[in-house]
Amino acid sequence: MRNSPAQSVFDFITSRLPLYKLNMKDMVTEKEVPVHRMSWGYYLGGLALFFFGIQVLTGMMLLFYYEPTVSEAHESVEYITHFVTMGALIRNMHAWSASFMIFCVIAHMLTALAMKAFAKPREMTWIAGVLLVMVTFAFGFTGYLLPWNQIAVNATKVGLASIDQVGQYLPDALSHLAEEVRVTIQGAPAIGQATLSRFFALHVVILPLIVSGILGLHLLSVQLHGMSQGVEDKPKRKEKFFPFFILKDFKEWGIAFLILFVLALCLPFDSLFPYPLLEPYNALGSTPDGIKPEWYFFFVYYPMEMLPFWVIIVVMTIATLGLFAAPWIFRNSSHKTMRWIASAVAGYMIIMTLFGEQIYHAVKG
Amino acid sequence: MRQISLLLVLLTGWSAASAYPEFQRFSQEHGGQPINCAMCHASGDGPEGAGRGQIGSLTPDELNRLNAARGAFAAGVLVESPILNEFGNKIIYQIGKTRFLELRAHPEQLADAYGFASDLDVDGIPDAQEYLDGTHPLNEVHGNPWRLFLHNLAAYKLHVFMLALATAAGLWGLSHLLFGLAQRTRASAANHNSN
Repeated sequence: MRNSPAQSVFDFITSRLPLYKLNMKDMVTEKEVPVHRMSWGYYLGGLALFFFGIQVLTGMMLLFYYEPTVSEAHESVEYITHFVTMGALIRNMHAWSASFMIFCVIAHMLTALAMKAFAKPREMTWIAGVLLVMVTFAFGFTGYLLPWNQIAVNATKVGLASIDQVGQYLPDALSHLAEEVRVTIQGAPAIGQATLSRFFALHVVILPLIVSGILGLHLLSVQLHGMSQGVEDKPKRKEKFFPFFILKDFKEWGIAFLILFVLALCLPFDSLFPYPLLEPYNALGSTPDGIKPEWYFFFVYYPMEMLPFWVIIVVMTIATLGLFAAPWIFRNSSHKTMRWIASAVAGYMIIMTLFGEQIYHAVKG
Repeated sequence: MRQISLLLVLLTGWSAASAYPEFQRFSQEHGGQPINCAMCHASGDGPEGAGRGQIGSLTPDELNRLNAARGAFAAGVLVESPILNEFGNKIIYQIGKTRFLELRAHPEQLADAYGFASDLDVDGIPDAQEYLDGTHPLNEVHGNPWRLFLHNLAAYKLHVFMLALATAAGLWGLSHLLFGLAQRTRASAANHNSN
């Protein structure tokens, strides 16, 4: 006899969130983690979580001094950097850990793809993870504007202008929609105080609330299901989650903290940019050379500069839908196929991030 | 007042007050990154205009200081030109206006003429090196990343060592705590089973 739709939905949810495993035995004492050649991938999610924690802590400290107004924002950031005790260290830790977090989130997603960790019954874990990747990018985009310097405002302008471009590919009746979306995000027809206020609210309140909900679901489902098998054949060896795996996790966090601290102490994030880009934004001045988004947007930014915009829209739509639907699209794919796909995506992202600018100059002349 | 200031500047020689792009061009090419007038001038847009640190906005007192700086032909004369920043003024102090104007034809020699002893922002990179690298000589968090890293690492080596020690000690303690907890959990589970 066929189940009713309501029963099917209930069965789906209970099998994806087996709350009966919410006990010490299943989640701590008896829990095991497979050991194989791709086991290193199991630690990336924890590292991303660690850097997220650093973001929250340092972000809260910066909030004590940061002023989200166009007249004060840049000055307050300068004040934090040059006059607040350990202000430069905290600000650098925030900036460096943002980049590390995004790196870990992307690497975590690609290794999960390579290990086919989205397979039944982990579909919800995967979808929550894809949503987390998107929210992480949104964190990066909104946070980039807050120092209100030349690169922040001009790069945000470039990003927001790309929304307008979508309008030309929509039917006439809907073509104004893209501009309306852009103005809604911007808060006004031109970038200004309304934009800064909205990005600040998104960065420090709305996105953290969204992320805590999705992250809670992601972590709960990871804990309930445990680590996926990860490789084609059943791993010959397993190790106890508690205390062995968790201790290795903490050790990696310790090393990550040490690296982050040394970088934040010794290498100011601002030194990676030409100094004219760090000057306060001047709406009446000319746009300085060298404006580009943060490195983690290069994989989409440089193709956008080289290819017709419709190509980007089509590819991005397919990629996004493909990511969400991966558990069903690749249901019957082997681990080897998944490793090839993940490697190809990783290769593309590495090449575009490291050599995107050179490729752009080679293509455009 | 502003009109009078502008008139005074015109009378005392406008061309002498304009920026010297030869140095900017050299620093930009040598450093491999875009720079602007803010390396030596009070304003990133250079001395011309009516903005802050530009000629059009100067008060009579500032104009006097500007003229005094223009007359500092020999090295060793302290100048406080309001259109220059601390680095710009120090260049005139170190080498004098005459030598500075001569170096327009050889901007690559400015670093050597200025010398590598001065480090105005105390970031460990001499001002002259910052000129060569195209980084800001008055911003202690701006400089060639590698040079800054090495200098700061040497300056903070004790902090780094202490932190490494604290991290290692913390992890050592944590591992003992976790193993202890695991042992206790196993023992209590064994007791529970035997009962």
